[in-house]
Amino acid sequence: MKLLGHLVWAAVAVLGAYCLGGIAINRGEPINSIWLVVAAACTYAIGFRFYAKFISARVMALNDKRATPAERLRDGLDYEPTNKWIVFGHHFAAIAGPGPLVGPVLAAQFGYLPGTLWIIIGATLGGAVQDFVILFASMRRDGKSLGQMAREEIGKVGGFIALLTVLLIMIILLAVVALVVVNALKGSPWGTFTIAATMPIALFMGIYLRYLRPGKVLECSMIGFALVIASIFGGQAVAASATWGPIFSLSAMGLALSVVIYGFFASVLPTWLFLAPRDYLSTFVKLGVVAALAIGILFVRPELQLPAFTRFTDGTGPIFAGKVFPFCFITIACGAVSGFHALISSGTTPKMIAKESHAYPVGYGSMLMESFVAIMAMIAACVLQPGVYFAVNSPAGVVGTTPAAAVATISSWGFPVTAPEMATLAQNVGEQTLFYRTGGAPSLALGMAAIFARGIGGQAVVGFWYHFAIMFEALFILTIIAAGTRVGRFMLHDLLAQMSTRASKMGGISWVVVSTILVVAAWGYFLVQGVRDPLGGINSLWPLFGISNQLLASVALCVATTILLKMHGPKYLWITCVPLVWLVVVTFTASWQRIFSPQPSLGFLAQAEQLAAGPQTAATQALIFNARLDAAVCGVLLLLVAIILVDSLRVWYGILKGTRDSQVSESPFVASQLRAEEL
Amino acid sequence: MRSAARRFGRLLLAVLREISDESAYQRHLAARGRPHSGAEWRHFCEHRLRAKYARAKCC
Repeated sequence: MKLLGHLVWAAVAVLGAYCLGGIAINRGEPINSIWLVVAAACTYAIGFRFYAKFISARVMALNDKRATPAERLRDGLDYEPTNKWIVFGHHFAAIAGPGPLVGPVLAAQFGYLPGTLWIIIGATLGGAVQDFVILFASMRRDGKSLGQMAREEIGKVGGFIALLTVLLIMIILLAVVALVVVNALKGSPWGTFTIAATMPIALFMGIYLRYLRPGKVLECSMIGFALVIASIFGGQAVAASATWGPIFSLSAMGLALSVVIYGFFASVLPTWLFLAPRDYLSTFVKLGVVAALAIGILFVRPELQLPAFTRFTDGTGPIFAGKVFPFCFITIACGAVSGFHALISSGTTPKMIAKESHAYPVGYGSMLMESFVAIMAMIAACVLQPGVYFAVNSPAGVVGTTPAAAVATISSWGFPVTAPEMATLAQNVGEQTLFYRTGGAPSLALGMAAIFARGIGGQAVVGFWYHFAIMFEALFILTIIAAGTRVGRFMLHDLLAQMSTRASKMGGISWVVVSTILVVAAWGYFLVQGVRDPLGGINSLWPLFGISNQLLASVALCVATTILLKMHGPKYLWITCVPLVWLVVVTFTASWQRIFSPQPSLGFLAQAEQLAAGPQTAATQALIFNARLDAAVCGVLLLLVAIILVDSLRVWYGILKGTRDSQVSESPFVASQLRAEEL
Repeated sequence: MRSAARRFGRLLLAVLREISDESAYQRHLAARGRPHSGAEWRHFCEHRLRAKYARAKCC
């Protein structure tokens, strides 16, 4: 039996290696997406069975006889021992955001190979390890947050900087995801109507849940889903109407201002009325669509049209500037490693883990699942004809302001596409144009629609599937904006409270309004900057988001390394140090290039200098200021993480030299009384 | 095969109940020994949602 097990795992390893080799070596002809799926699945299986098992047994020594915080501090609310697969689903739903969907689509500008390899390898050796170790550390410390652990394990400076970094990341994240929505909906009455309709639907759901059928969340969400589907059909009618079509056809700036106003109201309205019902609905839609996409890819098995590598690995890409190293890794972000996951792994999840061994599938396994979502997004982007992919994603400032100029430029890169071809595609999905829709959402929606339509309905319903995919992306991005603005308000309060005791007493409705305006103004500024950017905004904002997310992952890995060092000395440091060193090299290189590169499309300062040398108008002045602001934000993030890194190195040196307390600050051992049948 | 599908269905429903806070609400009622009512649901929501939306959502 044991021999059979060894043989099965050997077969999985050989199959995975064969598929990875296949996708790496193949050149010049389309490859079937199933190669990517099998390569990823086999690598994840090997990583889960051997690497994660090794970490859980040797390094963490997970012990089911030890009571978890869920058992010891059980209160029926936050702390509650829960079945491991339920925690798995809950944790996955919490970590799955727009990042792993949008990042791979943008990184496809380098071809399918660099992004795919990083998604698979980065998640197995970096992202999943980070999530797992932080979940374990928090579970052994009564469910403490990353900030609290940073304060205790590294020092006060580390804790404060972790909080400040998260707030900065949150602002950039909200701006960039808002820009993705704006670019997907500009000039699209069908999409705009559908998304606008989700707002009264959410309000109806809030009232239904509170007064009509209290507690019936699943029932209410099903009604909400039916209404959203009806709104997609309604959107089609609106787009065709001579009266209503123009009303819902908004410019990018009009949409940006609408999103800013939405962000303010959505985060100050009572959570039960708007945010909570919307959040339930978007989570269910998100999980359903991810599952449907997985089934669709397995069923349809589409061929990838993008090559393994494109010419843009040299840094001249139209969607964002920068060479494959380091920008592929920065752009993929959450699909391989996400600092934000450390906040979830040290949030609700550790308070629900019933047995220590459950942290293994929940912490490590959930990240593998997220990584698989990123692989699916990569496939959805790569099933498009390369010319179409670049026509949809390239900004007018790079390819030309008319369709004729755009297709000529893109065709000259070796990716043939014609204006009539793009017009037919737009017509098929019910849009006026698909040019200049930077941000990844429309190209992902096109890929998803192509896969879904081949499964159900054929070409006749491709417009419905396209708008269904756009609705799915915009619905949960707008929910993140509402929730993120609210959280930003609390973070601002915490940050001010750490600096002044007077600030800690601020409260009441006026503080809510003022702090919300401050947070909305902060991300709204970057959003408007992105809309005005002739290079499409994504060129500057997405790398900034990627850098900040990976820097947060560096903070989490610093905390994890400190904990491993205290537990075992230097023996197992490589587990977190290898991904940490890689992330530091990648993020510091990317940040340095974004600030100081002499290439104006890449370096913020060079861009400002180039603009300053030309004719000066108010718009140019604003662009110069924005480029310098982006450079400053990038510099601040770099400085903050450098401080944490130096602080951590100081702590590690002290522990290794024996001049610093190396006591592990875990909660004391309490024997578990929990029986298996209770779960 | 049918029982495996039924088990999977039950697990899926349990995950959805957890995500939708319905399970947490049942625990809330059990812990306080109270029956379900509109007022109780609103009381539960106040605590639950305040804590839930004070935490960062993932990207």
